[in-house]
Amino acid sequence: MFHCEVVDVNTNEITIEKAQKFIESQKCGASLYFLGTVRDHNNDKTVTGITYDAHDSMVKKSFKEIYEDAIQKLKLDHPAAFVEHAKGYVPLGGISVIIAVACKHRAQVYEFSRFIIEEIKKKTPIWKKEHYQGEETAWLEGKQIQVKK
Amino acid sequence: MKIKVELFGVCREFSDKDFIDLEFDKNIQIKDIRNEMIKFVENKFPENKNYLEMVKKSAFSSKDEIVEDEFMLNSNQTVSIIPPIGGG
Repeated sequence: MFHCEVVDVNTNEITIEKAQKFIESQKCGASLYFLGTVRDHNNDKTVTGITYDAHDSMVKKSFKEIYEDAIQKLKLDHPAAFVEHAKGYVPLGGISVIIAVACKHRAQVYEFSRFIIEEIKKKTPIWKKEHYQGEETAWLEGKQIQVKK
Repeated sequence: MKIKVELFGVCREFSDKDFIDLEFDKNIQIKDIRNEMIKFVENKFPENKNYLEMVKKSAFSSKDEIVEDEFMLNSNQTVSIIPPIGGG
């Protein structure tokens, strides 16, 4: 069971409640909620917010591939995952990403959640522009996407 | 032939629009798009070495798939420039 979305935070919001409704199941004895949030500092600079950019259709495709990869590699029992990532300006403390997962047993949900966020960092076309005190902004240096040969 | 290049991340700063239109007079590959983008940045932002570096490090996608430099393009095709990523 899988849900993913790129959430335009100008018109919508990421909530734990939506994730909870999606993943709850009597077949699962464990669920785990990971939230990525905007922190107030990076590289000795005071951060006031982050603007996220995304290639929406590629992001959703990537999330689905990561979910399917996780099921295959981690051999999960009754997996469910709810993944949403913000697009647009997120202020300090705001949620940039939610990864809610459920499985039959607790050990699997930790692996499952960690797998998803680490793969997103490596494979999913999302970008961050940090906003600092004053008017200064900067796109963060990211990881190069590898071309499959 | 005309190719539309959709801009993302830092590359959005290359234009006020979300894309750049490039014109070619022959069949081309992704590497030709990259070279044209390099020329575009060198002309428009001669002082900005970071933009140049970003184009060199970028991947390109067609129909939601990352494609190699040798990938052939058709007329009026749309591709996306995918600079180094960093979500989460």
